[in-house]
Amino acid sequence: MAGSNEVNLNECKTVVPLNTWVLISSFKLAYNLLRRPDGTFNRHLAEFLDRKVPANLNPVDGVFSFDVLIDRATGLLCRIYRPATAEEPEPNIVELEKPVVGDVVPVIIFFHGGSFAHSSANSAIYDTLCRRLVGICKAVVVSVNYRRAPENRYPCAYDDGWTAFKWVNSRSWLQSQKDSKVHIYLAGDSSGGNIAHHVAARAVESGIDVLGNILLNPMFGGQERTESEMRLDGKYFVTLRDRDWYWRAFLPEGENRDHPACNPFGPNGRSLEGIKFPKSLVVVAGLDLIQDWQLAYVEGLRKAGKEVKLLYMEQATIGFYLLPNNNHFHTVMDEISEFVGSDC
Amino acid sequence: MLRYDSTSSSAGSSSGSLSSSSSSSKPPQQDIDGLLAGAGYKVRSSELRQVAQRLERLETAMGNSPADFSQLASDAILYNPSDLVCWVDSLLTEFAEPPPTCSSDFIVDPVNNQTVVNSAWTTAEPHTPQVHQNITYDEQQSLDNQLTVVTAMEEDSGIRLVHMLMTCAECVQSGDLSLATSLIGDMQGLLTHVNTVCGIGKVAGHFIDALSRRIFQGMGGGSVNGGSAFENEILHHHFYEACPYLKFAHFTANQAILEAFDGHDCVHVVDFNLMHGLQWPALIQALALRPGGPPLLRLTGIGPPSPDGRDSLREIGLRLAELARSVNVRFAFRGVAASRLEDVKPWMLQVNPKEAVAVNSIMQLHRLLGSEQTRNSPIDTVLSWIRGLNPKIMTVVEQEANHNQPGFLDRFTEALYYYSTMFDSLEACRVQPEKALAEIYIQREIGNVVSCEGSARVERHEPLAKWRRRLSGAGFRALHLGSNAFKQASMLLTLFSAEGYSVEENEGCLSLGWHSRPLIAASAWQAVPAWDNHMSSS
Repeated sequence: MAGSNEVNLNECKTVVPLNTWVLISSFKLAYNLLRRPDGTFNRHLAEFLDRKVPANLNPVDGVFSFDVLIDRATGLLCRIYRPATAEEPEPNIVELEKPVVGDVVPVIIFFHGGSFAHSSANSAIYDTLCRRLVGICKAVVVSVNYRRAPENRYPCAYDDGWTAFKWVNSRSWLQSQKDSKVHIYLAGDSSGGNIAHHVAARAVESGIDVLGNILLNPMFGGQERTESEMRLDGKYFVTLRDRDWYWRAFLPEGENRDHPACNPFGPNGRSLEGIKFPKSLVVVAGLDLIQDWQLAYVEGLRKAGKEVKLLYMEQATIGFYLLPNNNHFHTVMDEISEFVGSDC
Repeated sequence: MLRYDSTSSSAGSSSGSLSSSSSSSKPPQQDIDGLLAGAGYKVRSSELRQVAQRLERLETAMGNSPADFSQLASDAILYNPSDLVCWVDSLLTEFAEPPPTCSSDFIVDPVNNQTVVNSAWTTAEPHTPQVHQNITYDEQQSLDNQLTVVTAMEEDSGIRLVHMLMTCAECVQSGDLSLATSLIGDMQGLLTHVNTVCGIGKVAGHFIDALSRRIFQGMGGGSVNGGSAFENEILHHHFYEACPYLKFAHFTANQAILEAFDGHDCVHVVDFNLMHGLQWPALIQALALRPGGPPLLRLTGIGPPSPDGRDSLREIGLRLAELARSVNVRFAFRGVAASRLEDVKPWMLQVNPKEAVAVNSIMQLHRLLGSEQTRNSPIDTVLSWIRGLNPKIMTVVEQEANHNQPGFLDRFTEALYYYSTMFDSLEACRVQPEKALAEIYIQREIGNVVSCEGSARVERHEPLAKWRRRLSGAGFRALHLGSNAFKQASMLLTLFSAEGYSVEENEGCLSLGWHSRPLIAASAWQAVPAWDNHMSSS
């Protein structure tokens, strides 16, 4: 039932491991405390509850990280993750911006999820995920700490994404040796996936190449209520009501969910036909209530003749990629690795 | 209501030295779910089922009135979100009815503590090597290996300068003083080409000075730490005004002290470093407004002796007494003059057994660390007599940095990043002469960290994780600072300071940082009541 708050607890228990259930349920609980009916957000409590980790220049499992303030005016921070090399197993501060070594070195600009309102680049779950990406893709990962809703609505997150993109693209130390260009991939989960799409669109408009988009359970929507939304409302950690809240918090006041930010191929959207949009890897969880919108997105790309690979993980819920304790996780990581690796 | 640290085990080995790590395995730690630990949550695998049940109860309660939830959340005080069990429990007591005894839906395989397939949960699929599933949560390992760096975009000459600083420090460490000397010259030249307004360029000059002092003047460093007590107090006061670190320290400590004093009519605060007594007017006023009326407040302020016949401690005390009088708080002050904290003896504090005692240490404990970790080193002695006072609370604020590493290069590197971040934050300050004097204050700290050794090096900052181990080992347990303190600290920041500062919660402690780098950490402690006989040191 659309808008229902009834939660059928038994269903999601059968499809995820216990620790995953505890993790995602804790998030869900915390998030319910933070969203106020009047559309405001308890940011202090959100920051108090979010588990964060500092950057660490000393490599852990072969990956080190450091934060860079790339726009003082907006306070835009990015966390850079680099692989420690055999020659310099323990980097010192001079190694921060040492040129990447390799014919082709992928640079993944990552946008964390959180429905535009939650989490940060230094949230523990995303720090962990980014470190994994470095390992599996042999890439440098740049995680963007974009401004969040409801304090900062559309287009702030996209603007920050664009600022980060331009910054990455202009770093000589990130250039691959083959062609002295930065080989950029855009990636993100949930709202981060949405941001990745829009930043890619802007990039190609500006004539800068993006080699690929990786969208994990990307956050899209629309005014209409789809079949999956009604069928899965409240069943697997997510309710339609909370989805609506986040869109209201992010979109400009007075706009509905057919705004192109939310519904890029909807009535107010724009076809990508004739535009050199990058290839996409779109991961859809079969138990995610917004899957119809995600599938519509994939369809929209296909209709415009864009290369897209859909990974439909039937039994997966949201957040399955946060803990490496399920088969979907490993399948997706392998696909991401191949998606990025195929250009090397 | 202050919350105790329920998960801390009394740490430490039975040997006298604090530096030896615990050799016996700690069963509770072995059982921590490694994957959730990576997400920032400490939960024992054996407790997962229990947490899950409670989460379910909460969800059911929430289902009934979701709108009320956010309102209740605004009012509730939450503690230590990393400890999922406690956090969920505290929410349950706020929101839900106590449960009927429920039959278990989830069973745990007693052999290997994995959840077993039943009607409830699937097994964790053994795709990953088991070693990751239940790793030993070794806090020591992760923390001793931490170097946090936040940079801004630097021009090439800035990067070159950093490179040279590192090389110079390396030379100093290896004893190649002639190369070090020539690098000093090169760097001074390069400074003229670098943007010294912000970032590393700003602080580089101070590091060059400190290195050159170390090379040319040896490591007695008397002149660095020099300046009279009077001067230091002035600099300290301007540092207080120019940036929020000390305000945060005072504010957070006062909140905790206020809570600890709740219900007590006679209270006694021991301040390890009185300075201008900037922390205490707010506490006095808060006590004045306490429902039920203020207690009798005694304040014992420790500080260096004043030369030239002045009694600066007494002067501060008089001013505070005046304020107390104006708000009808019965107040008594006592000054204890001591050049070093380790020279203070508990009898000088004249603690009355009937009073509730708060020991307040703002950036003082690290000065007791000394270069050798011996039995009965100053820190052990002082912590021991603090314990003996049985304080209701001990508030500890320390620089969140690893400036006491034995290797010079490591220390230098850490300090370079720490202080460049701190200087960067100072850029936001627009008032003079506060800003300039605050910079000198910090500069002196840098000088001490870099150019001094032995007993002259007093700025021996250690990170929170180390203090946690040390204090737990000395018989203290953490009192958690909660979401209310966090919120008020955050609000204080927006009132007084520029964008870029952030408060973070870390297992019951709060830290204040600049652009994702924590710079100062506040924690609160209480003596563990029962103490094993064989643990008490001579």
